[in-house]
Amino acid sequence: MSSPAVVSAPSIPRGPRVGRFIVWGIVGVIGLTIVTAITVEFSFLDIFRNLTRRNLVLDGLLSPDIGQLWSERSLSAFVETLQLAILGTATGGLVALPLSIWATDYGNPYVWLRNMVRIFNAVVRSIPDLLWALIFVTAVGIGVLPGLLALFFFSIAVVSKLTADTLDSVDRQPIEAALAAGAPTISMVHTAVVPQILPAYTSFLLYGFELNLRASAVLGLVGAGGIGARIEFFRGRGEWSEVWGIVLMFFLVVFLVERLSVSLRRRLV
Amino acid sequence: MIRFRAASVVYPGGTRGLDNVDLSIEPGEFVVVVGLSGAGKSTLIRTINGLIPLTSGELSVNEHSVPDLNRRQLRDLRGDIGMIFQGFNLVDRSTVVNNVLMGRLAKVPAWRALLGRFPEHDLAVAAAALDRVGMLDRAHQRSTDLSGGQRQRVGIARALAQEPQVILADEPVASLDPPTSHQIMQHLQRINRELGITTIVNLHFLDLAVTYAQRIVGLREGTIVFDGPGSECTAEVFEGIYGRSLTADDTLTDEAPLP
Repeated sequence: MSSPAVVSAPSIPRGPRVGRFIVWGIVGVIGLTIVTAITVEFSFLDIFRNLTRRNLVLDGLLSPDIGQLWSERSLSAFVETLQLAILGTATGGLVALPLSIWATDYGNPYVWLRNMVRIFNAVVRSIPDLLWALIFVTAVGIGVLPGLLALFFFSIAVVSKLTADTLDSVDRQPIEAALAAGAPTISMVHTAVVPQILPAYTSFLLYGFELNLRASAVLGLVGAGGIGARIEFFRGRGEWSEVWGIVLMFFLVVFLVERLSVSLRRRLV
Repeated sequence: MIRFRAASVVYPGGTRGLDNVDLSIEPGEFVVVVGLSGAGKSTLIRTINGLIPLTSGELSVNEHSVPDLNRRQLRDLRGDIGMIFQGFNLVDRSTVVNNVLMGRLAKVPAWRALLGRFPEHDLAVAAAALDRVGMLDRAHQRSTDLSGGQRQRVGIARALAQEPQVILADEPVASLDPPTSHQIMQHLQRINRELGITTIVNLHFLDLAVTYAQRIVGLREGTIVFDGPGSECTAEVFEGIYGRSLTADDTLTDEAPLP
């Protein structure tokens, strides 16, 4: 018979203690949420009361004007919105590719140019879509053009941000090989970097298109054309059934486009 | 002709990559550089094509003083020096032929590369390079679909496509199994003999070094501690280079015959 084991069963050693930073971070987030909820007088009761009180807007929701689906003016506004989204994504997304490449250390040998591009990208990214629309409505007047310009810059912001993250995590080994072979920067980027990011970049273009389609509904509210202008028209006249009819239609289109885009993107990656 | 004179590389932080190296390599030589990891093998090889700049001393390659070259001249020089890597450094998503055409980028205008419209001559050079390593029939496969040995052969073809005067190989067989390692070394040897391309190979397997090297250069802590023909390289010499007695890990096969 063996003697009783002297060695105790192995147990997982104690891990490092949870950092003070994390603990205080969580406490801070919870505290901030409570404080802000109190200051904006947030209350579920009020939301419930207001939502169940009769009002014209909600009456319209109960009887949406499905006829908007056939209305010629609403349809052409829709086509305009789609055109805006496609054109804005295509142009902005195309410009976003070199802009994000020029902001990387390997894609741009000139430090000053790299920093200028980085500053430009940061500024473009910090401006929201609606603000772009306001800027261009002020600059070039009401119509489709300010909407297109807004989506152009908004696409640059979205696509260049996402592409930049992909460019950061690119495999550097082929870059070294291309440089060792004496390739100029443009040729190096084209052969060693672009094939690596192309699937992700295409997926970002589709995602940008989804965002633009949704954004273009709002852009019309400030006079930048598309279906938003139509919504604003009916809203101004208090014709809520028509507003909800268009919203319903918009929901259908966005839903279909998103399904299509998601399945396309899945095939890419 | 490659000539180092009192060449040193000091990395930021004070680590010495190379320490006062004097070395001449004649055209057509097959030189194997041995040494422990961290001895400066990679640094030595990367100074030759300017991937790592010297911090002091002189280095001339084909009569060009490497530290004095501007960016354009450095690109031209690199175009004449092929490089082969431990990790193959292929673009995994690209086809074999596109990887090999990377070797033509120094000679082909950027707009042609962007449009993928390589001149006939460059395509022919790439095809010949692939054929030499027996990979021509795989031209349109993706590099991810290849085995390690096949990928390194593509790496060799990419270097050959440069029509180089010098080939630098940095631990080309470190990620490969023994039979494949020999196959790759034989390819390098044959290329050196048939095309007369100066070849410098970093290795840490001593039996491979002895088998293939015309000349062995031993590096230890950034300085050259041995320089002579492979036949003179006995176990004692290697122990001097490594600064310790040899173990089974230092050879590719367990009972390797060292002279």
